[in-house]
Amino acid sequence: MPDRSTSEWQPVIAESEPVMPGGGVARRPLHFIIMADCSGSMTGDRMQALNYAIADMLPQLADWERDQLVAQVMVRVLGFATVPMWHVPDPVPVAEMRWKALHAVEGGYTNMGPAFREVAAAIGPDRLESRALRPAILLVTDGRPTDLGNEFADGLAALTSFPAGQAALRLAIAIGRDAKSEFLDQFIGDPTVPVIVAGNTEEIAERLVAASIAVSRLSESGADHGALVSQLLGTGSGGPEDSEDQTIL
Amino acid sequence: MTNPADQSTGPGGWDVMTASTRGAAHEATGRPNQDAQGWRILDPGRQLVIGAVADGHGHSRHFRSERGSRLAVEQGCEAGAAFATTLGGLIDADEVAAAARAALVPRVVETWSRAVAEDYGRAPFSAEEEATRVMYDDEAVIAYGSTLLLLVLGPRWAVVAQIGDGDVVLLHADGGVEAPVPEDPSLDGHYTTSLCQSGAADSFRVAVIDRSETPILGLLAATDGFGNAQAAEPWQEAVGTDLSDMLRSKGAGWVRDRLGSWTEQCASSEGSGDDTTVLLAVADQ
Repeated sequence: MPDRSTSEWQPVIAESEPVMPGGGVARRPLHFIIMADCSGSMTGDRMQALNYAIADMLPQLADWERDQLVAQVMVRVLGFATVPMWHVPDPVPVAEMRWKALHAVEGGYTNMGPAFREVAAAIGPDRLESRALRPAILLVTDGRPTDLGNEFADGLAALTSFPAGQAALRLAIAIGRDAKSEFLDQFIGDPTVPVIVAGNTEEIAERLVAASIAVSRLSESGADHGALVSQLLGTGSGGPEDSEDQTIL
Repeated sequence: MTNPADQSTGPGGWDVMTASTRGAAHEATGRPNQDAQGWRILDPGRQLVIGAVADGHGHSRHFRSERGSRLAVEQGCEAGAAFATTLGGLIDADEVAAAARAALVPRVVETWSRAVAEDYGRAPFSAEEEATRVMYDDEAVIAYGSTLLLLVLGPRWAVVAQIGDGDVVLLHADGGVEAPVPEDPSLDGHYTTSLCQSGAADSFRVAVIDRSETPILGLLAATDGFGNAQAAEPWQEAVGTDLSDMLRSKGAGWVRDRLGSWTEQCASSEGSGDDTTVLLAVADQ
């Protein structure tokens, strides 16, 4: 090691030039939006379990992000009850997420239509990077929508009325078997993709991890629904080799 | 693995350089670089030059896409060379565009399809490949699916014909930057139009630049691994402006020396992780 005190030592100065035209590279963003039911029926054990599940899921999603070679996962969280309210409004890199608990709204309804509109506004035309991977939306609920009239259908139509919303990977976790409904099938929009049922609060964390990893992987792998379904059912191999597959229209 | 930046040299005309790097995701899974690139100089003064890049689709149903992209570049350059000799008598851009649609594009599709059939005839699918084809209920040609970005560069006309994703960036001599090829809203990053689809000729997008009205500094053609790696949003203007400055202040040789390191950055796990190929044609000023 040279002695800096001597006059012979000269620092090595790197050539000063732009890294590359345009200012450098970055991974492709994968926008992952969690829509969490905060209605009154979530009060107590269910909300506590959901908070635990999300907090448990995030580091595992960060591990997945680190292990694969394509995506940077950006997380947002929307709580919804009678009205939707962003819990994490701006996209946060999953590796930087520090979970702060969601709270149920006492007496709050399960109005999904306005929540869909809120997500639609967040990922609508020109709201995502042109190089972003297909967004992923995970809906977690313990009940049927309580929207009046056509609000549920109109909100869902708004969410799927533009390319990113239409192409978005949509998954739903029903907390309790009663929450599994045709409305969640409509939200998913793909008869081959099942609603994931967490039969009790203990299962929420496990289901949430399975769903989030499945969504992330499929976001890179095009229309391979078989891979998604096997992942959701716990039979997928799930390595990064499943990813980054482009195909024809 | 990176191909060293290739070059054509000599005074006057068009100066062409390319670089291609296998994507980090492909390296991790043992897949080859499914991109291809090539160019052809048609005259000693390099007044007529053909350049092409192609991106073989990554999905498992396109299990011969690295052959498909190579054939796309070969046949694209062949068809472009034939088309270039017909440009001399044309007097306006609409006429050139119509000729490109009527002659260049159908020829590319026809000769690529024929070359694929010949390749398949010489090397039929293995049992594993055939099982994949049957699983997707595809015709054999689907296995070879590829995009193509074809540049036919002459003294007056610069013609771009593109099918599928990827980007062409036009560097104006006055410093302006433009994406000359019309956008295709059906390309969402996961699905692409392709030479292997039926009616492929109808999915080509064509752009014509009249150099007598729009002096050109250069044209950049890149597979989507390049654009998907760019941190800037939108990236075309940022990259184009910097590249123009570099070409003016440092020269084409300086850019050529760095092109390979740029595709390496794009193809790395810090970038798109995808195969990345760039062809840059610089017009002598």
